[in-house]
Order: sequence, then structure tokens, then C-alpha cells
Amino acid sequence: MAACMELYCWKGDWGLPSVDSDCLTVLTYAKFAGAPLKVHKITNPWRSPTGSLPALKTEDDGSVSQPSKIIISLRKQKYNADYDLSAKEGADTLAFVSLLEEKLLPALIYALWVDAKNYVDVTRRWYAENISFPLNFLLPNRFHKQQLEKLQLLRGDPMLEPGDELEKELYREAFDCMTLLSQRLGSHKFFFGDSPSSLDAYVFGHLAPLLKIRLPNRKLQHHLTSLENLQQFCTNILHLYFPSEVKESPSCKPSVRSDSSDLDDEPHKRRNQILSALVALGAMLGYAVITGIVTIKRAQTQAALEGEEEED
Amino acid sequence: MSLAAEAFVSQIAAAEPWPENATLYQPLNDDQVLLSDCASSLAVQAYLKMCGLPVHLCCRANAEYMSPSGKVPFIHVGNQVVSELGPIVQFTKAKGHSLSDGLDDVQRAEMKAYMELVNNMLLTAELYIQWCDNATAAEITRPRYSSPYSWPLNYILAYQKQWEVRRKMNAIGWAGKSLEQVYEDVSQCCQALSQRLGTQPYFFNKQPTELDALVFGHLFTILTTRLTNDELGERVKSFTNLLSFCRRIEQNYFEEKRPCNQKVAGSNPDPPRYH
Repeated sequence: MAACMELYCWKGDWGLPSVDSDCLTVLTYAKFAGAPLKVHKITNPWRSPTGSLPALKTEDDGSVSQPSKIIISLRKQKYNADYDLSAKEGADTLAFVSLLEEKLLPALIYALWVDAKNYVDVTRRWYAENISFPLNFLLPNRFHKQQLEKLQLLRGDPMLEPGDELEKELYREAFDCMTLLSQRLGSHKFFFGDSPSSLDAYVFGHLAPLLKIRLPNRKLQHHLTSLENLQQFCTNILHLYFPSEVKESPSCKPSVRSDSSDLDDEPHKRRNQILSALVALGAMLGYAVITGIVTIKRAQTQAALEGEEEED
Repeated sequence: MSLAAEAFVSQIAAAEPWPENATLYQPLNDDQVLLSDCASSLAVQAYLKMCGLPVHLCCRANAEYMSPSGKVPFIHVGNQVVSELGPIVQFTKAKGHSLSDGLDDVQRAEMKAYMELVNNMLLTAELYIQWCDNATAAEITRPRYSSPYSWPLNYILAYQKQWEVRRKMNAIGWAGKSLEQVYEDVSQCCQALSQRLGTQPYFFNKQPTELDALVFGHLFTILTTRLTNDELGERVKSFTNLLSFCRRIEQNYFEEKRPCNQKVAGSNPDPPRYH
């Protein structure tokens, strides 16, 4: 009965099944609902059927793009994680998802894409390393511009510039939002009892990147780690539904820390340095010899004499 | 506002009591104000009435430009200017008037979440219908928005605002929606609100809170404003408990000062009638 559904999403790293919030939300919801999806983890959004990620391709409905539309499409195919929710809980889901999108998402965009240190050290580096040539020169900057524009439009201020004031304001609202979520979750395993729903998927999708991606500017992450029940909630979902990612994560190199990256790359770095020095030296010598700046005097004067006699 | 400036303002705000000459500014009621602005303004008026704080309504053509954040309405209290419902609620809280003190943590979380739901879905839907639906934009929105200005300023301002709103819709993913889908979203939002309200008089039982003011502002304006078609109003009307909720608030907080059809400043919630 289930048509073969394919999901295209961003690759994962740092112990996460995907590095993008929307992709994480959709992946998690699919796991909750038990939808059999063929997941394509790609690093080129132009390869997805709709041109953006995440994208769901079904035989009946064609391709759909945004998380809310993908979840609706999955529900149509009878994969519904919200089946057991009461009408009031369904209403609460809508409300809390709106809260996430208005209060937490701007801060998340700021922390990953607009904050200068984070963007250069982590985000741009990851995308440049993982997207294939030659798009890795174009796409990170394009994403950066898109995200900055999105932030400006969300805040309603076209003149928005990154800075301390903006950061404080955004982070303050995000702290409030996280505290509210923590209060709503309490000591339960999931937001609505013992079985997960779409709200859990959305919250996980937004909080898990904060938890796992190691950023230089960690204010947002500090607040999250101070809310133990939310941290427990995310770790729980990762262990229960994405155990393979968790197993792989210890072997992932933490490529952000500069000293460890030196150590890890050192054999290759040394070899590359020596090779490049040799190539440069060889090129310079070759040029010098060809243009006659340097002549190699051979100690075979006889050959030179013979050469002269022949000319005569 | 930066954190330091806000702390300073709250201190000053706390020091002075609410004056008699507090004023609320919004665009011109008859000719200029749009659905979304009128809804926001009504929400603030309802909130202040619920707190028992007197305020005069002042209609100005350039209210949007006078506002510190660029959004209407804003209030002028003493020597401070505060715009939008969220900051106004905090401002009145600093002065010692609050409607949500009696709520526990979980309820406060729900209240904030539902307020964001209204902002995220209802307000965005209103903006979409006003500016992104070509028929409504051409017949109603652009003429109204630019009515105080003469040519060519009226064209420039109207198209500039329309372009800005369309860019925002693009950024949040609403650009690809059809009008029918937007009406569906409005229905979904109203259903969520109706579920939450249930049979109680207000959202958090006996006492109204800022959530009640916000919902009233939007729903009452939608119900009493005529657009190119009545679809939006019809969708809201199908939820009877929301209808009686609006009527209850109108009776309790607005009707006692409403004589006949006169527009008395600060007490008449009549939204503009679009002809």
C-alpha cells in the first residue's frame, strides 16, 4: 500500500542524522510514524527534486518541500504520529510550533549563520568541506545571504546588522522560549505522554543542532545545557531512534578545535608541505636553467672542444 | 531596545503611576487603517481596558512612521513611547498592572505559545490576504493605505509596502500558498483557539489575560470588516464559542460607553467599514 517514498536531506555530522533543522524534523517525524522512507543524504540541494532540502518524493503526490507540507503528505499516506492526540493537544502542538518558529528559530539562524565567528569557523567550513567542487565556492555564501535576509524579514527590519545588541535580544527571546518548553515538558518523556508526536519532532529538530554542533560562541548552548530535561529529551530521541548515528559519533573527528585538527592532519600536512616546497624549488630551477640565468657547467671540456671543432 | 535601555526604561516606568493623558496612536480609522493594523490596535485597546487603564485614541495618517519600531499601534505614556502588544504588556507590568500573574508556569507557557500562534497564523494570513491577493490589494488595500497622500507618493508608498510584505511572505514560505490554503490555515488556527477555549468564559478560566485581548482584537476585526468576499468572516463564524467569546468581551469592556453611532475616542471598537 505504501508507495515508495524518497526523502532527500542534508548529510549528517557530529552525531546527528542531518545538520539542517528542517531535515532533522522530517527525519524524526518519519521515524516516529514508522514511515518506510528511502533516505538520500546529499550535499547538493540542486540534486533534490524540488531544488531545496528537505524534499519528499512520492509517486502519487509528486515532490513536496517544506517540513509542514512533508508531514501533511506523510499523514495522507496514513503515517500519522499524532493519531493518539486529543483535540486540545493538537491545538497545543500548533501553538508551540508557532512559538518555536517565532522565538527560537531567529536565534538559531543567528548562532549558525550570522554570528561571524561561528559562521566562519564552523558553518561555512562544514559546507565548504562537504559540498562538491565547484559549488563549495558558491553555495555557502549564497546560503549566508539568504539566511541573513530571512532574519531581517522575520524581525521586520531591513536594516538589521549583526552585532551585540541584536544578539542579546534574540538570545533573550530564545532563552525564554527554551525555558517555556522546559516547563511544558516537565519530567515527561515526550511532550504528550509516552509516545512521541510531531511537536517532539519539531522541538528535537531545533534543539539537537544546538546540543551537538560545537560552536565557538556558545551562549545559546550553555542555556540549553542548563535545562536538563530538554537535554535528556534530545539524547533520548537520538539513542532510541538514531542509534547508528550515535555509534558513529565517537569516530567523528571534532574538526573545529584547531589544535586537534593540527594533530590529526599532521602526517598529511607535513607531506604536503614538503611536496609543495619541492615542486616550487623544481619549478624555479627549471625556469632559471631554461632562461639561462643559471647554467650547469659540465666538467666535460673535451665534449665542448669537440663541439667547437665540428663547428669549424 | 537594548537590554540596558530596557532596564532603564522599566525603572523609570515603575516610578511613575499611569497618567490620565495616555494616548494610543493608530492610522486614520475611516479611510486609512487596514485589517491587520486595526486588529493589532483593537487588541491593545482591549488589553488596556482589561487592566483598567484609561487611554485616548488618536488617529494620525503618519502613525506608522511615528512608531519607534515601525509598527502600529503605539502608546505615548508620560514621556515614553512603546509600540506593539508584547512590549506594551511588559511596560504595564513594570508599572504594576498585570493580567497574567495568577497563572502557573505551564499556563504561562501555553499563553505565550497561543499568542505566538495568533501572530504566526492569523496575523500572517491577514497580511497575505491584504497584500498578496491581487484583487484585494488593488481594490482595497493599496487605495486605503495611500489615501492620505497625493500622487505620486501614494503609488510609491503603496507599492513599496506591498513589495516588502511579499518578500516577507517569500522568506517564511507563504508565497507558494494559494488563497484557499490560507483560508484553511485560518480555519485551523481558529479550531485550535476554539479547542483551547472550550466552554470557559476566557482562555484561562475566569480572568481575561493578554491572550484574550489579542484573540478578541483579531477575531472581532475579521468578523466586522467587509473585504472583497466574506470567506474569512464565514470561516471564523463557524466556531460558535469564539463568536460568544467576542460578544462577551465587547459587552463587558466596550459597550458601556457606546452611545448610538458616535465615535467616542477610546471606547468605540468599531472597525472601519470598507465600502
